[in-house]
Amino acid sequence: MGSLFNDYTLDGFFDEMFAAPGKPHPHYERLYRRLSELSRADFDDRIQLADISFLYQGITFTVYSAQEGIERIFPFDLVPRIIPQAEWQMLDRGLRQRVTALNMFLHDVYHEQRILHDGVIPLDLVLSSQGFSPLMMGVDPPGDVYIHISGTDLVRDEQGHYLVLEDNGRSPSGVSYVLENRTAMKRAFPRLFERSGVLPVEHYPQALLETLRNVAPRRADQPTVVLLTPGVYNSAYFEHSFLARQMGIELVEGRDLVTSENRVFMRTIRGLQPVDVIYRRIDDNFLDPLSFRSDSMLGCPGLFNAYRAGNVTLANAIGTGVADDKAIYPFVPAMIRYYLSEEPILNNVPTYRADNPVDRAYILEHLNQLVVKSVNESGGYGMLVGPHSTAEECTAFAEKIRANPRNFIAQPTLALSRHPAFVDGHFEGRHIDFRPYILQGRDITIIPGGLTRVALRKGSLVVNSSQGGGSKDTWVLEE
Amino acid sequence: MLSRVAESLFWMARYLERAEDVARIIAVNFQASLDAPSASQELTWEPMITITGDRDLFTAAFARYDAESVTSFLTLHPGNPNAIASCISRARENARAVREQISREMWEQLNRLYHSIVNADLATIARNPYDFFSEVRNGSHLFQGITDATMAHTEGWEFIQTGKFLERADQTARILDVKYNALVSNMGGETAPLASLQWIALLKSCSAFEPYRRAHSQLQAWRVVDFLLFDRTFPRSVAFCLDQTRDALRRISDSPLDRPANTAERLLGRLCAELTYLDIREALADLHMFLDDMQHKLNHVGDAIAQSYFDVNTMPAGVAAISRYVQAQQQQQ
Repeated sequence: MGSLFNDYTLDGFFDEMFAAPGKPHPHYERLYRRLSELSRADFDDRIQLADISFLYQGITFTVYSAQEGIERIFPFDLVPRIIPQAEWQMLDRGLRQRVTALNMFLHDVYHEQRILHDGVIPLDLVLSSQGFSPLMMGVDPPGDVYIHISGTDLVRDEQGHYLVLEDNGRSPSGVSYVLENRTAMKRAFPRLFERSGVLPVEHYPQALLETLRNVAPRRADQPTVVLLTPGVYNSAYFEHSFLARQMGIELVEGRDLVTSENRVFMRTIRGLQPVDVIYRRIDDNFLDPLSFRSDSMLGCPGLFNAYRAGNVTLANAIGTGVADDKAIYPFVPAMIRYYLSEEPILNNVPTYRADNPVDRAYILEHLNQLVVKSVNESGGYGMLVGPHSTAEECTAFAEKIRANPRNFIAQPTLALSRHPAFVDGHFEGRHIDFRPYILQGRDITIIPGGLTRVALRKGSLVVNSSQGGGSKDTWVLEE
Repeated sequence: MLSRVAESLFWMARYLERAEDVARIIAVNFQASLDAPSASQELTWEPMITITGDRDLFTAAFARYDAESVTSFLTLHPGNPNAIASCISRARENARAVREQISREMWEQLNRLYHSIVNADLATIARNPYDFFSEVRNGSHLFQGITDATMAHTEGWEFIQTGKFLERADQTARILDVKYNALVSNMGGETAPLASLQWIALLKSCSAFEPYRRAHSQLQAWRVVDFLLFDRTFPRSVAFCLDQTRDALRRISDSPLDRPANTAERLLGRLCAELTYLDIREALADLHMFLDDMQHKLNHVGDAIAQSYFDVNTMPAGVAAISRYVQAQQQQQ
């Protein structure tokens, strides 16, 4: 069969599409048949269709050089990832459970701190977390919701078990790609969608707006929701602008907002208009120069007082970074047991904390086998992938760990699952992860789908866009 | 609509219009210089710098008013904020800051224009200036057409109209001011017979030659001035542009003609009335003073628009209104 799958090898990894070479899993059969019919020229044509549609829609992220902003396309791989319904239901339950527990943890940390006093999580670990915000003590966010929007990073191991890698409770980005990937996919393969039973994701912006509206601070008939962006030079500005447009809300910058008497207003051509809910894509530290970093030009002076007075909702709440700290992440299963008296549906990746002396010794001895991460970094920065690093790099990293152990955790190098991707004119297996998006307002909503990121460099385990990653459309099937 | 957004749309349109008008001025000057004896190079090119009002910036970087220096200064010179490339770049920066407010097609067109202009080099422009300038002009026209055809004609669009027409009125007045004085002093009196190519060039720089010809059989100085100032059917005349600006502002404030909503509308209403009832002879008595006064008034209009819509500290529903709002809220609760 002269197909693009010729020479496709599994190399001992868990493959999302194939049980064995040439033998796709049942939920991939239809896609496999269709893709096998395509020649390289056919596939190149589809790529053209998709790439053009990306450029025209302005789906680019910006790389800034000395003077001139260069806009690049986030690489898009045309082979979709498929999740069968039963598997999705398990993920859906697991994610709900997890985000519910994280929200309860945040309430607890900023109120009674029972979980700390009961010794389930070390007190000093929480208090020393960069994401812990002392100003939030005793503050009651509207609806008691802290994590309105999260994007949990999931990976699959050699056996195909889903594991949680990170919880991302600080306004994660990427959801615009979920929507745009679907659009591009429909343009490139219109026929594939017919009768495939792919669940839609297009209602995400509406669900997000509903979530934000129903956590408004007061019983306003029509709460005014805005999206607060750091501005046009932020690398995720495209997404901010995209979501604001999709929701039909104002995209504001800090300088568009003004506070008076603990109320927040936006400057409009008709004068000042009250603002009720702020979906903010600015870090805690930059939100309000009066309460946090005084050199911030991005926020709005007085915002925190208005928030504490209960006159405006911030999504996500301030201080959720403490639940996002990679040194606290190992305790999430314990949180689930503590608050919900349930067993975790989704497991963690085994994690060593460098601030624990026993773990630290282990980490330093096994650096060349481990992935070491800074507890507050994201985007693939500040990490060491042991097996892919030189001895010098490991030694240098060991120094950093000894100097500031609280700042590092380590995990075994996972044999992440692979998925066919179109590389060099045919399909090859590439490592992938998965980020579904969870909305928490009065209820929890998870759109069936998410962002599947793919490490397009051969053998690479890093899927971030800044590190040579790309993305795929993700299909959750009806049945 | 956010004040910042309105302001960006306004300036996006102004800068693009300015780029187009600068291109028009140089393009037509190239044509005219072909007919001018080489001795008057200075006379042909110096007024270009006067029009754009950046004499100091020019003399800081260039020694002579010749075709090469002036073209360089007005097209790509990075130190000139009113150079075509700078204007298009600023138009694009304003558009980028409000990208979610404009249509995808508008952004694409402005982007395309930007990339082709910043990638141009002086040698190419010098080899074929006409291509470059018509690219700018056509690029601007295409953007205007796309704007009208793809953007909802709501407040944002009205601010675009306001910026575009206010700038165009200003530029037409500038072109007229500089060219008229140069031509009249050169020909020894405004009543001299005007078969000159220079007058044709002036009309052409405003795309006004053929419309003028259709309206008037004779080429006369006062008729040219009359046409460019007062003709209410020609889309680049000062009166036409100011009518459009006034109407756009009235649609924004939703105010009737006899009840101007703010200072900008009052200033514009007066200007439009002046242009309606003025005798051309009054203007010609001292055209420079008249046009200078006009430009001052246009600046005031620009300031007044900013005060009414862009700066919350000067708006009636601005900072001072907050206390009233909060009190009203508290009484309800």
